[in-house]
Amino acid sequence: MLKRYAMDIKEKLKHILIETLNLEGFTPEQIQNDDLLFGDKFGLDSIDAVEIVFQVEHHFGVKIRDMKEGRPALQSINTLAAFIEARRLP
Amino acid sequence: MQIDFKHRLSAHCESGVSSNLLFHYGVDISEAMAFGIGAGLFFGYLPFIRINHLPLTTFRCEVGGILKRLTRKLGVKMHIEKFRNPEKAMAALDRSLESGIPVGCRTGAYWLPYFPSAFRFHFNMHNLVVYGKEGDDYLISDPVFPETQRCAREDLAKSRFAQGALAPKGTMYYLTHVPEDIDLRGPICKGIKAVCRRMLNVPGPIIGVRGIRFLAGQVEKWPRKLGKRKASLYLGQLVRMQEELGTGGAGFRFMYAAFLQEAAGILNEKRLLDLSAKMTLVGDLWRSFAVIGARNCKSRATESDSSAAMADILRDCARKESEIYQELLTVVKTVRNGY
Repeated sequence: MLKRYAMDIKEKLKHILIETLNLEGFTPEQIQNDDLLFGDKFGLDSIDAVEIVFQVEHHFGVKIRDMKEGRPALQSINTLAAFIEARRLP
Repeated sequence: MQIDFKHRLSAHCESGVSSNLLFHYGVDISEAMAFGIGAGLFFGYLPFIRINHLPLTTFRCEVGGILKRLTRKLGVKMHIEKFRNPEKAMAALDRSLESGIPVGCRTGAYWLPYFPSAFRFHFNMHNLVVYGKEGDDYLISDPVFPETQRCAREDLAKSRFAQGALAPKGTMYYLTHVPEDIDLRGPICKGIKAVCRRMLNVPGPIIGVRGIRFLAGQVEKWPRKLGKRKASLYLGQLVRMQEELGTGGAGFRFMYAAFLQEAAGILNEKRLLDLSAKMTLVGDLWRSFAVIGARNCKSRATESDSSAAMADILRDCARKESEIYQELLTVVKTVRNGY
């Protein structure tokens, strides 16, 4: 059940990134869970990180206020999903 | 050669370095506490200072100010030195390391090779601690990275002598005396007072809450005055300064909220908890401003993401921050009378 829940978060994250960051030409299947979000592949930069933080709060109710936590969480779909999962579960 | 230095991850470089250097000498204060006592919170819109040819907006105090005020208020003595010659600067660093002293350095982040390229741009106010040397590599405790880093001598020298606005000029610093017993109550009150006075009382339109209101007016005018492309560059700079470099406006407001929460416990003053919660909400407002700004920079803005909407948020930030600082001054006054 937990695994399925985590999988849903990752899939949802991929859709959110594509829609809100205008990742034209990418499909969810083309985004690997361990791809670096801020590497060359997607062309995202620190300004896009602001939108991602906002979308995470909007869709999952998880706030990223402390960038000490935020920076490692924003590495990849895997790290972001793990962060959301840890914050959402009691 | 390697000094036994505890690397701790921070949200912001100067307060992180301050907290980590003090921890090395047995003073265990959090990054937020270092930021608060060092009166790091600030706002200034400084169009006459240009970074990457764009106006500087700062959400924190002057470079080195946190460490300077923190050490002074805690009775800690610090040696600080600038250089003209990179060779002499590196030799001085080596001598301190050989004496077993961890050294803080101010650097240009762009030239540090371990910074990911997506997050790298010219920023000459980045602080780190050098705690050892192996061959040609220096061992670096860069507080915004989860792990320690290595940096080749040539890169570190280049970074310490980065050119441009607010050039670090090889600045290095280390602690020379740390008192055994430190009472945080007085320094906390003084730190709060310094921030409130700066945010409320500095004359002129560009500093403190007046500066936030002034920026609101500018943001509203930019598209008309500068054209869409240049306005988006100005906004991009603002959002970067706010959200990425050293965590920026929202991040610093969150950090100050954490400081007020800790201070509430130390001073046994519940009103600070309430003000901490209010400051967190102001941080959220700054962040919503950044989100709209980011959308405008990246041509993703919808109709509601207008310049007017951004200006309204900034005016709301100014109003709420002003109320917080006024209440803080009242609290500090009564607390200080209590002991």
